[in-house]
Amino acid sequence: MSIERLSAKAFGTSQAPIQAFGEALREVGAAFPDVVAVSTDSSSGSGLSPFKEAFPDRHVELGIMEQGAVGICAGMAAAGRIPFFAAIAPFVSARPFEMFKDDLGYMEQNVKVVGRCCGLTYSQLGPTHHSIDDVAILRTIPGVTIVGPGDPVTIKRAVHALAARKGPAYLKIGSPAMPVLYEEDVPFEIGKGILVQEGRDICLIGTGTALANTVQAARILGREGVSVRVIDMHTLKPLDEEIVLAAAREIGRIMTVEEHFLNGGLGSAVAQFLALNHPIPMRMVGVDDVFATNGPYEELLGLYGLLPDQIAATARSLL
Amino acid sequence: MPLNDKDRRALEIRALAIRRNILRMIEASGAGHLGGALSCADIASALYFRVLRHTPSDPGRADRDRFVLSAGHKCLVLYAALAEAGYFDPAILDTYGALDSPIPGHPCMHKLPGVEANTGSLGHGLSISAGMALGLRIAGRKSRVFTVMGDGELAEGSNWEAAAAAGHHKLDNLTALVDRNSLQIGGKTVDIMSYEPLAERWAAFGWSVRTIDGHDFDQITDALESAPFEKGKPSAIIADTVKSKGISFAEGKVSFHYWKAKKEEIDQAKAELASAEAALQGAAGSGRV
Repeated sequence: MSIERLSAKAFGTSQAPIQAFGEALREVGAAFPDVVAVSTDSSSGSGLSPFKEAFPDRHVELGIMEQGAVGICAGMAAAGRIPFFAAIAPFVSARPFEMFKDDLGYMEQNVKVVGRCCGLTYSQLGPTHHSIDDVAILRTIPGVTIVGPGDPVTIKRAVHALAARKGPAYLKIGSPAMPVLYEEDVPFEIGKGILVQEGRDICLIGTGTALANTVQAARILGREGVSVRVIDMHTLKPLDEEIVLAAAREIGRIMTVEEHFLNGGLGSAVAQFLALNHPIPMRMVGVDDVFATNGPYEELLGLYGLLPDQIAATARSLL
Repeated sequence: MPLNDKDRRALEIRALAIRRNILRMIEASGAGHLGGALSCADIASALYFRVLRHTPSDPGRADRDRFVLSAGHKCLVLYAALAEAGYFDPAILDTYGALDSPIPGHPCMHKLPGVEANTGSLGHGLSISAGMALGLRIAGRKSRVFTVMGDGELAEGSNWEAAAAAGHHKLDNLTALVDRNSLQIGGKTVDIMSYEPLAERWAAFGWSVRTIDGHDFDQITDALESAPFEKGKPSAIIADTVKSKGISFAEGKVSFHYWKAKKEEIDQAKAELASAEAALQGAAGSGRV
């Protein structure tokens, strides 16, 4: 019962997600000659500078045309390239959804779409720039892999893993610096949740930008004597059903935490699976059916119950 | 290279075979997108039997030219040409409309050899084609990419994103042919949403443009074989065509965009194609041109 995947130095250092992504993409560019980087303006803001400097002939700038860009990426993939297309999350997910569905999903093309500044991280810019529906809509596309890593180490691991994994994928990363949670050699596999810590009273499943606060909430509960299992569900699709089912059977109380609409996100995916396989009491933390307001990021998280003490409070209601 | 009489007649005979195949599929299912398939049947004949570098027995060859049918509802012409070229057993044509047929109402690359993209939703094909052209260039390949678009389809804004990108990136290995049959499901294209003057619009996006008669094999092959018209520019061919070309009672009629065929109409259409073929064969036999 003493599994503890977190680094001893967890929360000691942090790194901007874009920086982690950019470093990893350059490494992937060296390892995979077919990888190309695609931007729709703001290439440096999307972390592509290291790749561009190393491989200038393998960067494609398309200007602000995300619908065209997804189709163009599909065509490049059909010609054997491996495009990593990075831009602001809502504009690579909701805006070109049909191109994602048809040209990447239905055509099964090996394209990696990277949505940066996902969730509420563009807090002040309002709902046009929030991306709290990307998992919900992209999860409907058969065969698409969706990954939302919870710290800089797993962002890098995800970029490497996705480059090696054939097929369309969506990688979502936030904007503010993320605390480093793991050692570099943490076991990471697409489609396999990470058992962050073992516990027996309740299971918290966090994903992406909400993972660190989920871990903090578990620590708060731990100090109160609550034994909390924490799962890092970095892969939203395919869902790690095995780790969910084990938690449902062994603990019987699961709460999901995500910086996303309750409609269609991690909580929905877990609930759908459990409703059909092993129904248990659940709680879900996320944004309810409203357009999130504008304001400072931390204050927005507080409005939607995503701060550590709030997550802990919601968890207590399930105990 | 200009067409000689023999080559021209060969393309005419292939075009008749394509039209026969189109009818065969509509007869099998009772309905289909007829008008736009027939309007580009001559273009498909020129592409598959003269212009494209392709190997039907090895459809995935890396050095092949790519053809993307952007206007995916014209799929009958694609299936008809692929069958005629030997990509698959023509008996498959009789499965049109059947459950899980390899020839759905819009093409699927996973179900049929020779299909390069899953089109159907309009405004996707040019982006995919531009991406192929770009990807092939980055890979150092000499393959060319051809796409056929509908004129009604041009109202989809995503086309113009792709047109701009192709011009900006100087994709001279890309040729887009607009099948300007001037009709779409609701009426005349210029009345529904005009994108005229087409040639000027494409030119303004950085393309080199030619306008041709899309039923004149000399003009079709000359244009397709001349691409790129200018080094460093993608090529656009505006092909003026007649909707439902080749079936007299359907020609130029918007009601045949999607045709729910009656048996007597099918019989008449077959008879017309048979007599056209007999005339062609007779001309060949007598040495007339």
